[in-house]
Amino acid sequence: MFNRKLLRNFDWLLLFTVFAIVAISLITLASTTKSITQNPFYYTKQQAIRFAVGFAFMLAVLSIDYTYFYRLAPYIYAFSVLLLVIVLFFGDDTHGAQRWIDLKFIEIQPSEFAKLGIIISLARQLTAQEGSFDSIFSCIPAFLHVALPMILIFKQPDLGTSMVFLVIVFGMLFMAGANIKHLLTYITLGLAVGGPLLWFNLKPYQKMRLIIFTNPYLDPLNYGLQIIQSLIAVGSGGLYGKGLFAPGTQNALGFLIEKRTDFIFSAFAEETGFIGAVVLLLLFMILILRIIRLASLAKDTFGMLVCIGVAVMMTFHVLVNVGMAIGIMPVTGLPLPLMSYGGSSLLMNMMAIGVVLNIGMRRQKLMF
Amino acid sequence: MSKSLHKRLRFFTVVVVLVTLVLTGRLFWLQIYKYDYYVAKAENNRLRELPIMAARGEIMDRNGVLLATNRPGFAVSLLDWDKSKGDEIIGLLSRLLEIPETEIRKQIERQQFKTFAPIRIATDVSAEVVARITERRPELPGVIIEAQPVREYPLETVAAHVLGYMGAISSQEYQEWGRDKGYRITDNIGKYGLEAAWEEYLRGQDGVEVVETNFYGQRVRELGKINPVAGHNLVTTLDTRLQRIAEEALAGVISELREGGNEEAGKGAVVAMDPGTGQILAMVSLPAYNPNSFYDDYSLLISDSNHPLINKAISGMYPVGSTFKMAVATAGLEEGIISRNTILYCSGRKVYFAGEAPRGCHLGIVHGAVNVTRALQVSCNSYFFELGKRTGIDLIEQYARNYTLGKKTGLQDLAGEAEGTLLCRREGEPWYPGNVLTASIGQGHAITPLQLANYAAIIANQGTHYRPYLVQKVVSPTGKVVLETEPEVLNRLDYAEATWQAVREGMEMVAMPGGTGSVLRNLPVKVAAKTGSAEAGTKEPHSLFVGYAPADNPEIALAVIVEHGGLGYQGAVPVAHRILAEYYGDESREE
Repeated sequence: MFNRKLLRNFDWLLLFTVFAIVAISLITLASTTKSITQNPFYYTKQQAIRFAVGFAFMLAVLSIDYTYFYRLAPYIYAFSVLLLVIVLFFGDDTHGAQRWIDLKFIEIQPSEFAKLGIIISLARQLTAQEGSFDSIFSCIPAFLHVALPMILIFKQPDLGTSMVFLVIVFGMLFMAGANIKHLLTYITLGLAVGGPLLWFNLKPYQKMRLIIFTNPYLDPLNYGLQIIQSLIAVGSGGLYGKGLFAPGTQNALGFLIEKRTDFIFSAFAEETGFIGAVVLLLLFMILILRIIRLASLAKDTFGMLVCIGVAVMMTFHVLVNVGMAIGIMPVTGLPLPLMSYGGSSLLMNMMAIGVVLNIGMRRQKLMF
Repeated sequence: MSKSLHKRLRFFTVVVVLVTLVLTGRLFWLQIYKYDYYVAKAENNRLRELPIMAARGEIMDRNGVLLATNRPGFAVSLLDWDKSKGDEIIGLLSRLLEIPETEIRKQIERQQFKTFAPIRIATDVSAEVVARITERRPELPGVIIEAQPVREYPLETVAAHVLGYMGAISSQEYQEWGRDKGYRITDNIGKYGLEAAWEEYLRGQDGVEVVETNFYGQRVRELGKINPVAGHNLVTTLDTRLQRIAEEALAGVISELREGGNEEAGKGAVVAMDPGTGQILAMVSLPAYNPNSFYDDYSLLISDSNHPLINKAISGMYPVGSTFKMAVATAGLEEGIISRNTILYCSGRKVYFAGEAPRGCHLGIVHGAVNVTRALQVSCNSYFFELGKRTGIDLIEQYARNYTLGKKTGLQDLAGEAEGTLLCRREGEPWYPGNVLTASIGQGHAITPLQLANYAAIIANQGTHYRPYLVQKVVSPTGKVVLETEPEVLNRLDYAEATWQAVREGMEMVAMPGGTGSVLRNLPVKVAAKTGSAEAGTKEPHSLFVGYAPADNPEIALAVIVEHGGLGYQGAVPVAHRILAEYYGDESREE
């Protein structure tokens, strides 16, 4: 049962930043799609509905004591992998990669939900392993844990998302108490062996994205064009920006590609300038720092590790997505959490926030 | 919580702050430090995609003679034009291009949704006009000249109906499938003939050039380019030499007939096939059109009562007269109703049969005792009336259809092959026993020249129905063979050797003294033939020829029809004679 006393430990600031970021997302969507004549606010409305659904999911996640998730962890893991297998064999590949399952009324992207699922199940596994990280081999079970979902996602193909798992597993191992030297050894080894191995398993377009990252003008027609146009949009925004809903912006003229999804940050930075962009970055920073704070307050290792997993995931998404928009990261198609247009990503992030708030709320054993 | 854990948590905090700082720093660099640079870029950000039109695949004959090719041409388009000066620009363009202003405005209206692509105003503009526009460039901001390959048919009207013609994609075609296949609304597509049926292969893949243009629409630099890929070339089965000979022979005979007072002559068709493969060597339909000037001549062509736009060789349907008689003879022989030596008497008396007007042999000639070969040689109606009566319409129909008379031959390389009809018993329609007489001498049917040629080919090769075809190879611009057509057997008629012998001998006798085509005896090759004169109401009869040569080792199966060309020997036989004489007489012929 939901206890009013739980609200004393509720992190209102965290929830506020979530609302603030989603509000910015909806305004940006409205502004960038204003020129669609038939139904100008179609995307805004769609995303608002998804946010409402996401909020309901968040409340649902909040109402259950998070220790249930500990018990459910193996099933969550199995279910996540099952969905990834299904999408690989039966998924809808109309968007170029096999990432979506078409449920007729809605298309879901299992790799998004898998991120949260794997964070929870990995947290349980590392909790069970707590205090026994003396050997360098003690990290291997955790690697094996994420290897299966990672490979399934890599096969879709979705390089960006499979990278998220790698960052998550290192971050969580680190907080579970793994030896730093061991982790550095694995990273070095991974770069030396995994790097070349990965390169030869990449699709030509994925390689192209990585190559043109070093020089976008090598491919000015496709991916290079995206980067060039994004830099022009962001740079020409200046200090104050061209104004929300302003006519004649790069995004309004159609120069900016994927302005609703992958490059929504560029559109926002163009319209609100340096000031707006930094405000948004600060909101993300506050959000993630609050999650780290809840990690430090959690009553058990499981809660702490879940919070860290979510924090690492969000940090990586922000770094890669914003970095891509401003030309310091390759184009990977990772969405900007709570900002990019898309249902699965928003739902998963709202549920992740729900889990984190849940852990923060139930950090003390309640006395009656 | 342990101290080391707190340390590690602090590490995460530091990482998050660092990430924020790095991103902020980069934003500062882009938005504050490099602001002027990017503002200038945004101002100049007029990236334009200029299509580079691909050359269409060429069409050639079996020996590589070009039938359809491309020549360089120019199109005039608007790109980034200054609409505030619209009236002046349109006015000047109208004068330079000699196109009415309303026409230019209509083009702009039609393509108004194109923001980044050029709006086509005029295609295939002469070099002179290009020079005039270039001279006045300063007055025409936003007017660009694009290179555009123009379709050309070097041999003009030769094989026009087989080649077809090109035309602008219609709005309907564009909406229904053009857009999905990447066509632009200004594109030309094949509308008829091989151009239409092989559009998918002939069409090249347009390239694109991405250029950055400045405020005045002038090209600042090229950012990238995808070269166009030319379409695939078609190697047809046509033999241009034979095609020309056939066209000239048919046209020559028609004009002689007209000079001789037959005002009704004016149309006709010829089909020549290789009986050993089904390859179509020549296909003529007269009158023809010139695909180079198709649209200039359009109003004349469309109002011509001789229907020059229709390929009569595959779409025209005719009663075929006595050329039908081999089908009846085959039925009689193969079903054992007659043998080669069965004699029937042609007494010159008219034949009466229920539901049919009394009929006899042409001009009341009395042929006396004739067998099947003699009956074919002299085209004795009385013989075939009696044979038809004995055989019955159902068997006649069956054997005729086996010869692809009143049945599609299976040609797939062109659209529009007519099926035709046979005069036969049909459910729900009255049938008079006397109709069998009409059917036996080839009246009442509607048969295409292609079917007739295929019929001749089947007799020539003794029973093999090959699918007639026109395209033997599709070759990519780099010379790779994309598609190769092998002769395809659609049906095999397993008739007795004696049946073939009798029919073929009868046809050979036609070209001998005493036969209806005896003039063919002086050709350099031995010919097997059958003539026909098909009643055409109150007008002159249609004149027909069906045959193959050389009779002993057939290389060509030939069908000729001269509409309202009179009796067989008046129109079609002279055409066939000229074709075979010239084809086999010319010493330059390569073996």
